[in-house]
Order: sequence, then structure tokens, then C-alpha cells
Amino acid sequence: MTDTVLLEAQHVSQRFKLPNGQNLEALRDVSLSVCEHEVVALVGPSGCGKSTLLRLFAGLSRPAEGTVLYRGRRLDGVLGAAAMVFQSFALLPWLTVSENVAMGLEARGVFGAARRDAVARAVNLVGLDGFEQAYPKELSGGMKQRVGFARALAVAPEILLMDEPFGALDPLTAENLRSQVVDLWRDPATGVNTLVVVTHSVEEAVFLAGRIVVFGTNPGHVREQLVNPLPYPRIERSPDFEQMVDRLHAILTATLLPEPAPAAPQRLVPFPRVHVSEVTGLLDHLLTRPDGKGPVFELAEDLGVDYDRMSAVVRAAEQLGWVTTPGEIVQLTQGGREVMAVDDAARKDATRARLAKHPLFGRLVAMLKENDGSVEDEEILADLTIYFPFIPAESLFATLVEWGRYAELLDHNADAARTALLGWESTAETGAE
Amino acid sequence: MKLPGFPTTLAPPGLRRLGLADVAVLCLLGGVIATVISFAREFEAPLSQAVRIDLSPTALPRYTLYSLSRGVFALAISYLFALGFGWAAAKSRAAERLLLPLLDILQSIPVLGFLPGLVLGLMSLFPTRNVGLELAAILMIFTAQAWNLALSFYNSLKGLPEPLRDACKVAGWPPRRTFWQLDVPAAAQGLVWNGMLSMAGGWFFLMVNEAFRLGDRDYRLPGVGSYMSVALDQGNVPAMALAVLAMTVMIVCVDQLLWRPLVVWVEKFRLDDTAGTPAASSWILEFLRRARLARRAAVLQRRAYRSARRAARPLEAPFKSVGPVILRGPRIALGHRVARKIGVALAVVVIAAAAAAGAWRLWLLIAQLGLADWGQLLVAALLTFVRVMGAVVLSTLWTLPAGVIIGRSPRLARALQPVIQVVASFPAPMLFPIVILLFEKIGVGLGLGAVALMVLSGQWYILFNVISAVAAIPEQLKDATTLFRLPRVARWRTLYLPAAFPALVTGWVTAAGGAWNGSIVAEYIEAGGTLRLTRGLGSLISEATAHANFPLLAGGIALMSLIVVGWNRMVWRTLLQWAQRRFSLET
Repeated sequence: MTDTVLLEAQHVSQRFKLPNGQNLEALRDVSLSVCEHEVVALVGPSGCGKSTLLRLFAGLSRPAEGTVLYRGRRLDGVLGAAAMVFQSFALLPWLTVSENVAMGLEARGVFGAARRDAVARAVNLVGLDGFEQAYPKELSGGMKQRVGFARALAVAPEILLMDEPFGALDPLTAENLRSQVVDLWRDPATGVNTLVVVTHSVEEAVFLAGRIVVFGTNPGHVREQLVNPLPYPRIERSPDFEQMVDRLHAILTATLLPEPAPAAPQRLVPFPRVHVSEVTGLLDHLLTRPDGKGPVFELAEDLGVDYDRMSAVVRAAEQLGWVTTPGEIVQLTQGGREVMAVDDAARKDATRARLAKHPLFGRLVAMLKENDGSVEDEEILADLTIYFPFIPAESLFATLVEWGRYAELLDHNADAARTALLGWESTAETGAE
Repeated sequence: MKLPGFPTTLAPPGLRRLGLADVAVLCLLGGVIATVISFAREFEAPLSQAVRIDLSPTALPRYTLYSLSRGVFALAISYLFALGFGWAAAKSRAAERLLLPLLDILQSIPVLGFLPGLVLGLMSLFPTRNVGLELAAILMIFTAQAWNLALSFYNSLKGLPEPLRDACKVAGWPPRRTFWQLDVPAAAQGLVWNGMLSMAGGWFFLMVNEAFRLGDRDYRLPGVGSYMSVALDQGNVPAMALAVLAMTVMIVCVDQLLWRPLVVWVEKFRLDDTAGTPAASSWILEFLRRARLARRAAVLQRRAYRSARRAARPLEAPFKSVGPVILRGPRIALGHRVARKIGVALAVVVIAAAAAAGAWRLWLLIAQLGLADWGQLLVAALLTFVRVMGAVVLSTLWTLPAGVIIGRSPRLARALQPVIQVVASFPAPMLFPIVILLFEKIGVGLGLGAVALMVLSGQWYILFNVISAVAAIPEQLKDATTLFRLPRVARWRTLYLPAAFPALVTGWVTAAGGAWNGSIVAEYIEAGGTLRLTRGLGSLISEATAHANFPLLAGGIALMSLIVVGWNRMVWRTLLQWAQRRFSLET
């Protein structure tokens, strides 16, 4: 591999304004370079800004701070040397396959017979021959994404940017397309020599990339970079491959489930936005495992949820003291076993006791008590926005209400937009005794 | 399920929160009122003579074509306006902030009140010919058509998935290409559906425009509307029937030859893949698709375009050298931060100054009104307000049950759709005099009769909205009520009425708007050669125009605009928000 730097992000930050007026910091001070002939995968939990960085590389948006360079020159406008493949395919439904594939050719000065040739070549590369005159709505998801690839390949781009290109496809189709992408990259005829792919699948990253960049959230930043020296073509069931996957899993787990900082035990942490049934489902599943434990990625696979969601559920269970997470292992605690052993009413009582000790719920309860047991939603939302400026307050609030209702701790009146503490009057009476 | 042939619920006008921009817009509008009226004042020379309308049946096709061409011409302008307006509002945040409130207010104020001023003003520009009158008619029709088109285009631009836009950018498409190949096709469905509604709204205005009378002056344009009014003056019943027939034939033809094919054709431009809704069909499009002529025409058209380009090439050269300077100059200037700030400040100052000037001009006019005039205005406004609300209630009484019954059964909806569409497109003002004459026979005066006329001009909005809302109820919910054997009353109370309620409120907003507009023609009617009027804001405006009482006219229009906009913002908006929150079908 040569060391010519093709794309470089220097101290890049990016911010968005949410519809509710909150500011979202998608990226903070990210520096990353992509060299010629490299395949770089950007992985990380949702909301870590990996897609934002990809759009910056494509020149689709400008960074709020910092610069993006292409071959040492500052990027101004859309990067002509790159083509992009989208998760949602982004095909124009009123254009045929070949018209869609030809979208980028005119701007690059390819007309007439040369254009027809370029389209035919790209269509042939992805195996779409015979579908040239079809409309996208007549194609399956996998075929649609082939059109997406053909459109990108038609312009013979130096760099191919891919935003979760297999995310919307079924696993079989995804696997098939994935190995074709590696072939395309290794085939000198395509002209593509550098790939940047955003993905949330660990296997996909290990399968494709020579370098894997792990992102962290709140705000998005580069946590770690991992070089993947496995030779192509890679075999998914080989021990080396599995070892690489495990290494990446371990890094991601550290990102998703950070060890609690011992110095600040009472630091206010947001409650993960998960449902009650998800947490009890996790505990149920752990009970069926030997010793009531398992690695988080295995759990996610077994339960058929993605890693982001699984880790959120695990964090919620951990905050309630029902599991511990040594490393990437999730271990059911004694408290967790007890809460699963009792009937529904007792489980609610146990949950209520746990919530009362939880810093965030504790603060909410204290606030309600100060206000005679009932507060307008607006006030709680304002508080949440101040504590956690990067989390949409409405959805966090909905989670708090759901848990509070389940534990019979809180009552919420949507019509009056007020939240009340359940059993508050009786507490007042006991206080008077 | 979305039924073919029924538009999805439209965004109600005038339901945004009141902001500073609204105040500016209202002031600007006041300025326009005052300016137009002062134009009218300077008008002195009376028009040479009224156009003579030939009542023979053979002349009617020609008149119908005149009316049709006015409507189509206005629609073409409306589409151009909508594309420009929607694009500007979607692309520039500064433009959005000013344009949206403007659209909102223009959509909800009773534009018909401006007709006299506009006619007189334009006639003074072209005193000897009918050009002014024609222009005024087309402009008025335009005001009935343009706003929902612009809003539809803007909403479609805003709702376009970002990856599609990105894909065009990555492909290196210039903005013009993206506009014609992404923005416009994606909006095509909404533009066609709204065009259909706009056309119906346009006919309403057309009737008023063609036979427009101010006191002893008679401003007539050759058309079906004026044919009808002359027939009424002469009490010529066969001619009246013929006019109604001609109008109906025209509406059916436009529907079958223009809108049906378009609706089927734009199915191609759907963004979502779901092919679940039953396809609409159009015999004329089938015919055109099968015909070779159409393909030939396409080839010819391409050839013509090419030779036109070739012919225009010498003219392009100077434009090519100047164009970029014109286009890029402001962009470069706006790229600079200080320059942008100065630009924004200048724009704000200009708008504020214009608004202040407008408010001042309006004030100068209104200040001439005495206390008695104000009392008269307020009483009239109250009367019309009661009538409008009565019309809304009356319309709801029949359209709500009818809409639920039609919306519940896809078969019924499909069968009735063409009928309802034609009936709804029929311009109510054409029927006003006939209805009033009938009412007089049974001894009902215009005071109550006007309510019936307002019902005529507003009820369809409610019916359409209820039908599409009920048709959208998930099948499983209906199954559940059947399975649990809910009695009929309970079924309506627990399912159909709540599910239809948000759409019902939306319908009320539009119907009330239509009723206010209609009051200007409904409270002041000439039928059978005699003038009838009943006390109300609408008749006050019409009378003030007839007697050239400009301060009273300005006060009347301003008061009506204020009531409509205020009521929209305060009452309808709150009600709609509550309804949407409480009765949303999303769980």
C-alpha cells in the first residue's frame, strides 16, 4: 500500500439544530485520513457521527470547524473523484435503470456512445444485464442496490463512499453483494481503488476493511483505530477472522458499556431509552444460560436485536443493579435473579425500590415532592434538557414515564400535561405521624 | 387506504402561530388595499359600453370556450407562480420566514373583497379596451388557484428524502437539472391533485368576475357567467338552463380530458414503492398511449425545440457572457459574512418601511370613518359571523354522516367520486340567483337565504375531508368494532366520529374561509333585474364599492381579513392541534 493521503479530515466538528431547538453536536474534533488503495470502515453506535463524516468527505456538507482535504487541497463543493452508495438506494423512481446509472455521466462530460458504453460496462459489472429498461419499483432490494453500485461505478470513481450499503438488505443478499464489493475493489478495471464504508455490522467491517475506525458518541469522536491485516479474500469462518471479530467486539463493548468511573458514583447519567419488557426479556434470557451470563454480542445475536439496542438494554439493567458487566460479559446479579423469581406485583415493588435509589428517578421524585406531588411536563422537560443537552428530552421523558408507571411510582396525565407522584398523599400522612 | 380520486387531506390555511412576520405581512397587505383603492379613485372615464351578450344557443359554445381559456390561462400562471414561490421558500430560510406567513394569510383572507378595487384599478390602466377587465378576471382566478399549489410544491420539496438530493449532488447535476428531474417530478402528484381543486375554486371566481356590476356600471366579459347573468336579467329560463348545462359539460370535459389522464400519468412519479392503492384509470390516456399520433407529436416537438434552439443561438451569446455575472454576483456577495449581514439588514429595513407605509396609507383611509361607521361595520361583521358559523354547522349536519357512509365503503366511494367531483366543481355563484328566487317563492328572505348560499360555497371541503379520513381508518379497527358487536351508535361514537374529527376541523377551516368569501356575493344579489341585499359585512363591502365609499370599503375588507386570520390563528388552530393530538390514529 502506498502512503499517498487521499482524504483527510483535520480537527473537524459538525453541529445540527434539532427541530425542538436543541443543538446536536454530531462530531467534535475528529481527525482522520484515508490513504490510496485503502479500505476504511467506520463503525460505532448510532448517533456517533460516522455518516456525518462520510457526507463531509463527499463534500455534501461543510464542517462547522476544521477542514477536509482531498490530495492536500481543501475540499470546496462536491468531491468529483468520489461516488456514493446509499443505504436507502436513493434511486429516482421515474428513471429507468440505465437512466439512473447514467445520472453522473453528463456532469463528467460523457455523452452519446461513450455514455452508452459506460452504462453498459457498469451494468455488466454488477450483473444487471437485461434489466436496463426496468424501473426501480420493479426490482427487489438487492437489485436496487446493484443499481446504486452501478451508478457509482459508471463514473469510474477513485473513491467509493458507502453509507451502510447493505443495511436495508436481507442477510443472504447482503453477503452476496459484500463479496462482490471486495472483488470490484480488487479488480483494476473498475478504477475504484479506495473504499470508505460506514457500517454497524462488526462482521462486515472485518470482512471488508483494512483499517477499522471505531467511533464513540455524545458527541461523535474517534475512539480507536484497528488495523486488519487479514489477506483477501477473507473467509468468515476462519479462526483468524473470528479472532479479529472478537477483538473488535471487545473494543466496541468498551465504547458501548464504559466501566463506571469510580471517582464520581453519583454523577447523573441518563436512563437508557428502553422499554420495561426489553429489560425483563434480557433477564429472562440470562436465566436460561449457564451461570446466568454471556457476552453482549452473543446475547444480541441470540435475541435478534442490534448491538446498539442490546447495549442500551444492558445498561438499563445495570443501572437498576440487576446485571453487572465485567468486560464484555453480562452477568445476572442476585438482585436480578430475585426480581425474576417473584410474581408481577412483587416485581413492581422491587422495581419501585430500585428506581427510588436511581439518581435520575431520585431527582425527579424529589422535584415532585417539592411541588406537592405534581409538576407540569414542561418543567421536567426543561430540567432534562439542562442535564442532558445532547439527548432529545421528549423521548427520555417518555421512558421515565413508562418506567415510573410500571413501577407504580409515577402517574402521567397526557391531557393536562402533568406528571404526579403516586401515593403522595399517603406519604404526607405518614410524614405527619 | 387511499382512495383513488379523493385527495388526501389538505393542509388547512392560516393555522400557523401569529408572529412578527404576520404583522409585517398584514401591514403590507393593508398598503396594497389602500393603493388599489386609490388607483380606483383616480379612475374617471366610464367604459364606453358594456359587452353585448348574445343569448342565442349557438353563441354559447363560444362563450364557454372564452370562460375555459380564462381558467386555463390563470392555472398556467398559478403553476408558474407555485414553482417559483415554493422553490424560493424551500431553498432560502430568510425567504421561508417571510413567504410562508404571506401564503398563509393570502390563502385565508376573502380575496373577493379586492375585486372591485382591482377591476377599477386595472381598468384605469387600460381605459379604452377590455384588457383591464380581462386581466382583472384572470388575476382574480389566479388568487383562487395559486396558494394551495404553492404550498403543495413547498411541502413536497421539504419532504424530499435527503439521500435523493445527495445522489443528484454527487452525480454533479446542476441545480436546474435537479429542479426539473427531481424536485418537479417528486411534486407532480400533489401539483396535479391541487390543480384539480384549484380549477374548481377558479370557476367560483370566474362567475363573479364575468358578470361584475358596480352600481349603475356594468362590467361584463363574454363568457358563460355573463350569459347566465343576462339570462337572469331577462328572466329567460331556457337560456339559464342552457348556461348551467354548458358549465356542467365543460367541467365534465375538463375532468375527463385533462385531469383524469394527468392523475393516471403522475402515478409514475410516486416516491414510495407501495403499489397497494388501486390504480385509477383514464380512457383518454389509454387512447393517447395507443395512438401513434402522440408519439409523432413528441418527435415533432423535439424537432421544433431543436430548431428553436438553433435559431436562438445568436441571442444566447450575449446572455451567456452576462448571465454568470448576474447570477453569481449576488451569490459571491452573499458568501461574505459582513455583506450578508448588511443585505439582511437592508431587506429588513425595506420590508419594515414598506409595512409602515402600507399601514399608514390604510390608516389615512380608515381614519375618515366616523364612530357611526364603525358601529355599522361591527354590527355587520357580527351578523355575517353568525351566518358563517351557521353555514358551517348546517354543512356539517349533512356532510358528516354522508362522508362517513361514503368513506366507509370503497365501492360507494368509487361510484360516487366522479359525480361528487363534478358537482363540487360547479361554481356556486352561478346558482345563487336561482336559489334566492326559489327561496322568495317559499317566503324566506335573503337574511337566511345567504346562509344557504354560504353552505353551497363551503360544504364540499368538509365532505371531501371526512371521506378521505374515514377511508383511511385501518381495516382492522373496523373489524374489531364488528367482532365486538358494537351497536351502530357506539360504532359511530367510538370509531368513525373520532377518526374523522381532525379532518373535520380542517374542513371547517376551509369551509368557513369559503363562506366568508361567499358572503361578499351572497349578501348582495341581483336576480331578475332587482337588487336584494341583507345586512352583513359582505353586503357592506359590495355596497361600499357600488357607492364608491372608499374608506368604508377599506375598513370592511380590513375588518374581514382581520376576523378571518384572527379566528384561524386563535380558534381553529387550537382546536385542530387538540384534535390531532387526541384523535390521531397512530398509537
